[in-house]
Amino acid sequence: MSRNRFSIFHFIQLLIVVTIAFRLPLLGETVMLLFSYLLLVITDFRTAVNQCSFGVVDIFCSLFLLVGIISPLFFKRKKLRTAKPFSVSQYVAAAMLYVFLFAPVIANSNFDFQKDISVTRLLPPLSTVQSFHFNNEKENSGLLENFLSYKNEVVKNSFDAGIVFFDSLHIVGDTVSYFQNGMENSLLLSSLILKEGKPEVTNKRFLLGTDELGRDIFTRLIYGARISLLIGFCAALLSLLIGGALGFIAGYTGGVIDILLTRVNDMFLSFPIIFFIILILAFFGSSFLSVIIVLGLSGWMSLYRIVKGEVVALKNKDYFITAQQLGLTGTKLLLKEALPVIATPVIVNTVFQFGNVVLSESALSFLGLGVGDQFPSWGAMINSGQQYLSQAWWMIFFPGAAIVITLLTVNDFGRKAAQYFNPRLHK
Amino acid sequence: MKPARLLLSFVKRAASSVLILFLTVSFLFVLIRIAPGDPAQKYLSPRLDSSLIIKIKSSFHLDKPLYDQYFSFIKNASAGDLGISYKYHRPVKEVIFETLPFTIFFSLTAFILQFIGGLLLALLALRNYKKFWDKFLSGGSLFLYAVPTFVSGMFFVYLFSVQLKIFPSSGIKTIGISEENVVILFLDYLHHLFLPVLILSLAGLPVYFKYFRESLEENQHKLFTLYLRANGVSERRIIFQHLIPNSLNAIIAYAGVELGILFSGALITEVIFSLPGMGRLAVNAISERDYPLIIGCTLTAGILVILSNLLADLVRMKIDKRLIKGLLH
Repeated sequence: MSRNRFSIFHFIQLLIVVTIAFRLPLLGETVMLLFSYLLLVITDFRTAVNQCSFGVVDIFCSLFLLVGIISPLFFKRKKLRTAKPFSVSQYVAAAMLYVFLFAPVIANSNFDFQKDISVTRLLPPLSTVQSFHFNNEKENSGLLENFLSYKNEVVKNSFDAGIVFFDSLHIVGDTVSYFQNGMENSLLLSSLILKEGKPEVTNKRFLLGTDELGRDIFTRLIYGARISLLIGFCAALLSLLIGGALGFIAGYTGGVIDILLTRVNDMFLSFPIIFFIILILAFFGSSFLSVIIVLGLSGWMSLYRIVKGEVVALKNKDYFITAQQLGLTGTKLLLKEALPVIATPVIVNTVFQFGNVVLSESALSFLGLGVGDQFPSWGAMINSGQQYLSQAWWMIFFPGAAIVITLLTVNDFGRKAAQYFNPRLHK
Repeated sequence: MKPARLLLSFVKRAASSVLILFLTVSFLFVLIRIAPGDPAQKYLSPRLDSSLIIKIKSSFHLDKPLYDQYFSFIKNASAGDLGISYKYHRPVKEVIFETLPFTIFFSLTAFILQFIGGLLLALLALRNYKKFWDKFLSGGSLFLYAVPTFVSGMFFVYLFSVQLKIFPSSGIKTIGISEENVVILFLDYLHHLFLPVLILSLAGLPVYFKYFRESLEENQHKLFTLYLRANGVSERRIIFQHLIPNSLNAIIAYAGVELGILFSGALITEVIFSLPGMGRLAVNAISERDYPLIIGCTLTAGILVILSNLLADLVRMKIDKRLIKGLLH
């Protein structure tokens, strides 16, 4: 047991350091945004509440979490360091959770951001595009304007009128002519941000390329992780609640309820689940909530069986009968005797269920039945890339790789959990 | 075992299938009834007289009590009458029966390939027990299990259709091919269906490999194998006459459960390669809001899975006589 091993905490530290190194300006602006927002809250509470959008809360949470995670990791290092055997899935899971939490900081652009499609569409990975900016500096007076200007910097919009992507540009006199995919346009030089008499040209790098609408695939991938994982958590939890509750009822009461529920369970098991999901989504429409509910409903069968089996076995165990006859209340019986025994197989199964849900969600999005166009989803990205297969392999490769890596990690976690809880499997 | 008792066990098993089928149909009825939107509204423009609604409702028997509607639904569904498709303007039954043979053929081919491939690979792994090939195949199957059908499908299409241009990326036959020469027609079908069948088989292969490997490994370490080895029975005979038959039983039970997954894989493969199957019919029906067709496809798929589960159980009974006793007691 060497203590010098590269542990999971070092890995998280590394992630944080890399994030801070790349996104220091953004974090600085976020701190400024926070201060201006706090000033706004003190002076004009009603406006502050109106300005409080999801994006603002999201980036504040990211900032707080980043600071919150850093402090114990750097100050209480010795206590936290544990020597665990190296396992890749552990690191991938940590990285995925990190991406899930800090998506706005890592991505640093809106997932729907598109501008000048003729220049930016279907760019291969690692390509850069030149851009210049319009000169629209305004004097910031007043707290609200100050806050809004910071908000524009930090919370990215899906459209930015102040930026123009181009292929090449010439300066003739006081006009700038630039080419966009063969089309020539011209502008007055004075309307742009200048640097030494020339327009200031910045390079925007598209790490994983762009899709058919000129949107950055890297950003969409990161926000897609949020959608997939969130739906996975919620639907697996729903399955756990339904399966656990029904299984407990069936196992504990027995009799007619047991027979009835088991038959319903058989029916669900014998149904080809994808048709069931399609039927329900067709009837009730596909939205974020309906996808979660449908996927949760379609996964309760295995949990029901496991919980029921465990409860039936538990009812006849001596220690449980003793506990009952000692006069323990129902709540105590459930919490102290039943739950610890049932928990282990249920946890393992829920992990696998999580993987199944992620898979089903991406399959549904691929079929065009997912959460809809307003959210980027890995399956939907593959679906839109299908048409451009011969031109843009990156539109399919990266989301596909993300799905495969996620499923590999989740399955590996499930197996590890099963091994951990099952002493017979230790060899 | 007397024939009468055999028949009784068969009837008992079939009765439970019928019960599940009945539950499925009832469940569908409940879903249809709680779905938002009045069925009569779909036939009616708001400009028409409102008294027409009552007429239409009575012509659809929607004014009758709920249990009456339920009974007529069950009656019609059991007679195979599932209404008329909005899009095709023909009975749903006809439309489905045009695509059903392809889906059954497609899934069955993939199932056979998965089953045999899984068995062969498991035998290969066990022959090199805990050596390179065993570890390689186990690791590979874990990886393959995590690759969804649509990802592997897109990968193969990119590799074989876009880059190498060996296999076509969609359709079931070349347009305008002569129907007379049977050999060429057959080869053309084979050429078009190679990739879809490969992808669908790859999706289930790791599952069967895992089941076969675990089951064979377990039986290999049992005392009867040791006894046979000690008696000098050849390894080949042990495998084919003792190990495989002993493993089959559990695997066929799994195969029934895996069928639902096979159908979902078939649906996605049909969509990727635009094959004329029932899965693509159902997916297309959603964008057309063709509710009777979706209900029909769901019910047909449910019936198929229930029937194949029944078949799997009958095969298991044939293999293992103890199961018949279990059903009778």
